[in-house]
Amino acid sequence: MDDNKQNRTVIEAEIPMGTVHPAALEPYRLRLFVEDEIVRDAEITVGVNHRGVERIMEGLPVEKANSLTEKICGICSNSHIWNSCRTGEIALGIEVPERATYIRIIMEELERLHSHLLYLAHGSEVLGHETFSMRLFYIRETVMDLLGMIGGNRVQYGSAVLGGVRPRCELDEMRLQKITEGMDLLEEKITAFADRFVSDPMVMSRITGVGVISQKDALRLACTGPTLRATGVARDLRREMEEYDPFEFDVITQDDGDVKSQLLMRVFENFEAIKIIRQAVRDLPDGPITNRSWEMQDTPLTKSYIEVPRGTLYHSYSLEDGRVRNCVIRTPSMANIGAMQHACIGHHITDAQLSVVQCDPCFTCTDRAIEIIKI
Amino acid sequence: MDLTYSLIAVIGTLVVAFIVSLFLPGIERKFIHARIQQRVGPPITSPGIMAPLKFFFKQTITPESPMPRLYNALPLISLIIVVILLLFLIPQMYFVGALASIIALVGFLKVEEIMYMFMGSLSRSVLSVRMPFPDKAKGAAHPETPQSFFEDLSSLRAFRLIAFGSFPLYIAMFVAVAMTGSIYLQDIINYQQVHGPILFTVAGVMGAIVFFIGYMILLNEYPFAILKGKPDVVEGPYLEYAAKYRAYVYITRGFLMFTLATLFATLFLGIAPNILNPSFIITLIVALLFPMLMAVLSAFSPIFTYKQFYPTVAGVSIIGVLAIVAALL
Repeated sequence: MDDNKQNRTVIEAEIPMGTVHPAALEPYRLRLFVEDEIVRDAEITVGVNHRGVERIMEGLPVEKANSLTEKICGICSNSHIWNSCRTGEIALGIEVPERATYIRIIMEELERLHSHLLYLAHGSEVLGHETFSMRLFYIRETVMDLLGMIGGNRVQYGSAVLGGVRPRCELDEMRLQKITEGMDLLEEKITAFADRFVSDPMVMSRITGVGVISQKDALRLACTGPTLRATGVARDLRREMEEYDPFEFDVITQDDGDVKSQLLMRVFENFEAIKIIRQAVRDLPDGPITNRSWEMQDTPLTKSYIEVPRGTLYHSYSLEDGRVRNCVIRTPSMANIGAMQHACIGHHITDAQLSVVQCDPCFTCTDRAIEIIKI
Repeated sequence: MDLTYSLIAVIGTLVVAFIVSLFLPGIERKFIHARIQQRVGPPITSPGIMAPLKFFFKQTITPESPMPRLYNALPLISLIIVVILLLFLIPQMYFVGALASIIALVGFLKVEEIMYMFMGSLSRSVLSVRMPFPDKAKGAAHPETPQSFFEDLSSLRAFRLIAFGSFPLYIAMFVAVAMTGSIYLQDIINYQQVHGPILFTVAGVMGAIVFFIGYMILLNEYPFAILKGKPDVVEGPYLEYAAKYRAYVYITRGFLMFTLATLFATLFLGIAPNILNPSFIITLIVALLFPMLMAVLSAFSPIFTYKQFYPTVAGVSIIGVLAIVAALL
């Protein structure tokens, strides 16, 4: 018997949730080990929706492979294609025009906005607050319209290409005006929501002190992104990305590490995203949006990290005859799974889904590895 | 003549109650929830009429249950209990004596509550089935743990609801008893015809608030939806009901909404349900107001866990006890 088994808590019963549970919205299995409805241990398993994207990418021409990465996630599709292109650009030494970088950042921050609003809406739904959820989805529509206007689609925008952005994502005066108006509207709506949210005693009593992840645990469990920042760690990869150098923004942190902190974290990050978009629109440089003067060559394994709405996204691949080799992708939810399990422990079963959802999981995108076993 | 009159009153009241109750879930969803949530919402007939109709014509499945026939019969039994409850509220039925008393009504409501426990303990849904192999990717932290089904959980919660959750409703019912000094509905109504409705007294107002909270708890509406919370037990006791059995569930809920509102009108306004009495319109207004108020409150509430549920029930029960004390003074 291993040490792990000896140290295990005595478990009264297991309540398995999933792989498809109506509150989860994603296929994952949450096993809750409970004692009188209090969770004593939790276990999350992913792997039921593995699509083998890396395997499919293997051997594809790099631009096709980049496009494919966008299909990994329906929420942060732009983040994937941007990071994949960024990996290729680092490997091939492609200089991205400044205007293209600004457009990419506008897209990325719009995506952060819609992802955070979706998170808040989903969180409210799991909380049982259908009205908040519906209203947040309405607020999100403004962002979706803007993304649709720029990228041509509401989910798969296909904006980034090696060396810049696609011609259809060029921002003319009319589009810039619409983005500015959209930001004004969003700021007003999100402020109104935030006021209503924090002044609701019933909601606050449900989320305060629930699903706590301490700073020590967050670091121990290698959390990333807003999940980490909600525990008081001011780590935002955007500060280390040269693309974000021209922009002024604050790294939002919260101290308590509970569901309340996680939700407020995203609310305040929305304002920072709006701030960045406004700066990008105001200072958008003139010039080309694509650099086509580069040559394909074989490259060693190259990696790229960017800060996406859920945390740090990692892409790496090498190039051989213009084709992708040894591709590895790691999404932020992979890093946050430990925290999700940890956050459930000690709380009521009803709080378990909330504790998982507070880390903004995206399990379908996280399904990157499988283990074949004999049954 | 008297017998014909009584038969018309009883059957007519039940029929009207049945028809009105079919619209209540639709009113709740369409005019309150949907309006608050700034969406169109379903047609008013959808949740109460069209959905049960649809379910009656769906193929019936055999549920995973140790006693499938009993399990399937429970929604119908539940409906019959609620019909009986309304039946004994009708003045023409007061000749049955003890059955038309608060004690009997409490008994019927308790039986209705126990149904949720039976539903939970007799169901085994596919949602809780263990995977056919141990979770090797994670190392299977607790591989041999006995498994609990969602329905077990809801059954346990139903037991707790019977033990303490429905306290407020019963306490509020005894406000009328304390004020009138009788457990019989006839006496309670007669008292209010002489002294005016109990609702317009201090004890009555307190009792009405407590009754309303109890009404929401008994109907398992948000924020008190601990039996069927989406984040954990999904639909709890109702999870496995399909086809016509689900239709009974829908109809029972609408009928219970109407019956509890009628009970309120009887105990706090002194107006018993009788289609041949013009004051029946007040019963109908109460029956419409209660779901509407409940829908407003539930649209702005998150789901409670025990952490919020226990203090709420305790606090409301204390107000109920104070109302009884005020009624006795």
